[in-house]
Amino acid sequence: MDMNEIKEIFFQECEEQLAELESGLLKLNDGDRDPETVNAVFRAVHSIKGGAGAFGLDDLVSFAHVFETTLDCVRSNRLEPNQDVLKVMLKSADVLADLTNAARDGGSVDEARSRQLIKELEALANGELPPASAAEPAPKAVAPAPEPVAAPPVNEEGFQPVAFSFEDFEANEPALIEATCYEIVFRPKSELYAKGNDATLLLRDLSRLGEMSIHCDMDGLPPLDRMNPEAAYFSWKISLKTDKGEDAIRSVFEFAEWDCDLDIALADGCAVDASEELPMQPVPFDLSMLDEAPVGSVEEEEQIATRDRDAAVSAAETASNVLQMAQSSTRAPAEAQKNATAAASAAAQQAASAATPTIRVDLDRVDRLINLVGELVINQAMLSQSVIENDTNGTSSINMGLEELQQLTREIQDSVMAIRAQPVKPVFQRMSRIVREIADMTGKSVRLVTEGENTEVDKTVIDKLAEPLTHMIRNAVDHGLETPEKRLAAGKSAEGTVRLTAKHRSGRIVIELADDGAGINREKVRQKAIDNDLIAADANLSDEEIDNLIFHAGFSTADKISDISGRGVGMDVVKRSIQALGGRINISSKPGQGSVFTMSLPLTLAVLDGMVVTVANQTLVVPLTAIVETLQPEASAIHSFGATQRLISIRNSFCPLVDVGRILNFRATQANPVEGVALLVESEGGGQRALMVDAIQGQRQVVIKSLEANYTHVPGIAAATILGDGRVALILDVDAIVAASRGQTLKPEMSLAAAG
Amino acid sequence: MASKKTAQKTLRLAPVLDLNEATALHEKLLALKGSAVAIDASAVERIGALCVQVLIAGAKNSEEQQLSFTFAKVSDAFVKTTQLIGVDIDPLMAKEI
Amino acid sequence: MKKRVLTVDDSRTIRNMLLVTLNNAGFETIQAEDGVEGLEVLEEANPDVIVTDINMPRLDGFGFIEGVRKNERYRAVPILVLTTESDAEKKNRARQAGATGWIVKPFDPTKLIDAIERVTA
Repeated sequence: MDMNEIKEIFFQECEEQLAELESGLLKLNDGDRDPETVNAVFRAVHSIKGGAGAFGLDDLVSFAHVFETTLDCVRSNRLEPNQDVLKVMLKSADVLADLTNAARDGGSVDEARSRQLIKELEALANGELPPASAAEPAPKAVAPAPEPVAAPPVNEEGFQPVAFSFEDFEANEPALIEATCYEIVFRPKSELYAKGNDATLLLRDLSRLGEMSIHCDMDGLPPLDRMNPEAAYFSWKISLKTDKGEDAIRSVFEFAEWDCDLDIALADGCAVDASEELPMQPVPFDLSMLDEAPVGSVEEEEQIATRDRDAAVSAAETASNVLQMAQSSTRAPAEAQKNATAAASAAAQQAASAATPTIRVDLDRVDRLINLVGELVINQAMLSQSVIENDTNGTSSINMGLEELQQLTREIQDSVMAIRAQPVKPVFQRMSRIVREIADMTGKSVRLVTEGENTEVDKTVIDKLAEPLTHMIRNAVDHGLETPEKRLAAGKSAEGTVRLTAKHRSGRIVIELADDGAGINREKVRQKAIDNDLIAADANLSDEEIDNLIFHAGFSTADKISDISGRGVGMDVVKRSIQALGGRINISSKPGQGSVFTMSLPLTLAVLDGMVVTVANQTLVVPLTAIVETLQPEASAIHSFGATQRLISIRNSFCPLVDVGRILNFRATQANPVEGVALLVESEGGGQRALMVDAIQGQRQVVIKSLEANYTHVPGIAAATILGDGRVALILDVDAIVAASRGQTLKPEMSLAAAG
Repeated sequence: MASKKTAQKTLRLAPVLDLNEATALHEKLLALKGSAVAIDASAVERIGALCVQVLIAGAKNSEEQQLSFTFAKVSDAFVKTTQLIGVDIDPLMAKEI
Repeated sequence: MKKRVLTVDDSRTIRNMLLVTLNNAGFETIQAEDGVEGLEVLEEANPDVIVTDINMPRLDGFGFIEGVRKNERYRAVPILVLTTESDAEKKNRARQAGATGWIVKPFDPTKLIDAIERVTA
């Protein structure tokens, strides 16, 4: 692992810390006053700062430092984290995220914003309340703050001049050539030993500075039976001739300065050789045995080990020497233990990391594995099929084995898919920032509530979820929620609530976005649709149908294009991206009470449960999730409508019949419905369609192979798969087929609805 | 050196003589009170000042009791550490006669 | 014999840096992610020296140091504290808890190895 890799880890960790930071701040915002929450928030910033310092990311360090200082005030109860304070902190968290991204990707950040927040954070740390205007949406007022921060606060507190640093030491070293003699009196206290230090180590380091003579003062040593073996009795008088200066001597005692009395004085003459009144013992310079380097001592260890073994052997041979026997027998277990320790060291390391229940794996590796498992599934299916074809009695042990293989393959596939499954949490967390920003811009007061953040779904789905979700959230705050004044007037609380939930439902993930706003203004939507020529002025639409009009291309209810949720992107884009993920989206709305968007997505994009059907001698796969029911049409149930349209009556209602073979151009003429099977499917907007196919072959799980990646996009086809017989089958894009059946416009549909 | 003729007891020192070992060593020496003591320091890899204190206190105690207290065998590390911290163990070294 | 270092730090970045630095310097490194885990692995790790962070979840550096100092077998092990700045107050608290020395971040491999050398035989 090199520094670049560690840096990458650092940024990954930053992301996690930022998420931690945000969720902690949001908890505080909700009134959580658990000290552990505050600590976690503090740690997150602290940790980012620590890592950033190691990589010299100064901008990040200095912002994190100011942030940390303010958080420390909260931690030590000097600052009450009220809503105003948290507003500043949440914004600071956003800036910290921006700075992190800039440090990683080299982009730039809004410096005025950072400076402003630094000021606000400092004000909070100094016990000043945030300016009242900070509570107002004032994005522009924030910008002009070019006034340079007078003195970098970083240096104001916390940093005291460091008495010694190695850089100084090394820089000064060549300058001090003249060797000087010092007289040092060193009296350790008992605490020095209690803290794992030792006078011998300090004296060793001291001796390395130059020529040293030493006198050990043992006068304070009490008699054996009255001494405390852990108390400090010895003290030392040292004469040292060194060219490294007094600072170097002091630095030796850096860790011990609290736990010893230390006197350093320039000596008149060097007592190194002279014998004064005190008997000084010259310290030999060769202390190699003591500064045993950590590297390259393996040999020695082996020598010792060999010696020990030899001793044991010889001891066993000369059994007459009882004492020696006793000695070696006590040593032998010690040695055995040593070996055991060595053997266990790997295990220990493993155990140390076993507390971490996760490993980080390159996504590529997982994808390769998933691909291989996909191949395995196909291969297994092909094997099964050929065995069945060649084995007529069907009860052979091969079949039994094959069944087990199939079971196993399925389990492997599920397990592998589970590797890619990730909680939706990071995406959800990103949304809270979006909510904050838009609330700020629109002057609305919004509270985002998330539920089921730990619901897991395939990573690809998560990655692709962020964009449509962002758009929907913007939409919910911008269009869905009312201004505080309107809310109060309507008898609601001034603060609007946006609720984002995720849950698993029958093999899919369902994500719901609910707001408690005004709901969809159906009259306005209807009028807009009429104005935009989307529906006929006299069209009779159900509430649900009106609501779903907002998903139509080019539809926007905002009176003027807002730069928040507008951006020229409508809900139709959201719908398309959800559909591209194999998902469906619906809206339900209650006037005055709000709207609920419901998205249902597959848990994985790698496999799909499908119904294998035949259309004009072609094998197609229809996603099972789209199918409501299958039925065998009877001639009496088929009604013609217009030139080419046909309807099928199902339980007293009419449903348009969609001829799949015709739409895909598999055949030139219309098929006879009575000879085929109708698949009742749920199409966009909640309406049902009956897809006409020739026959149903069966139902199975198929591995999705992208057509775009391997060939090119084909209209009406979502993807391809390989079946057990080795043939390629196309997977039907149900919504595209349905859309094609009505010529991409809503008009025929509406008139049909009117007819029904 | 006048020493009573008593059975000489050997005390073998542990390889690592740190804070923890100081108390153990102290107890061992106390248990040997009244005997001539020969210290086997041949296995010593590391010795801290606290254990040196205990050993010197033991040596003084023996001297007062006129019992012999010698270092029968010493390791390199043991000799060098005592030299480093200015504790002269030469007079206590066992002399080959 | 390779010296064994137990590092206790909740930051993956710092853990990796410590690991790389210490391994390159020929130490055997055992890592824990917080004070609680640090105390749990103490026996297995059997360290010659401990390097610990202060701000950690579950059990912070101060508590961890106190825990080690109370451990009959490992109370004499030198402990170095990673501090972000030369914060006198934190240093003092660490010392009171029983820290042997400290290493001032930003993380610098030379400083780390130097500090370890200073407190180990």
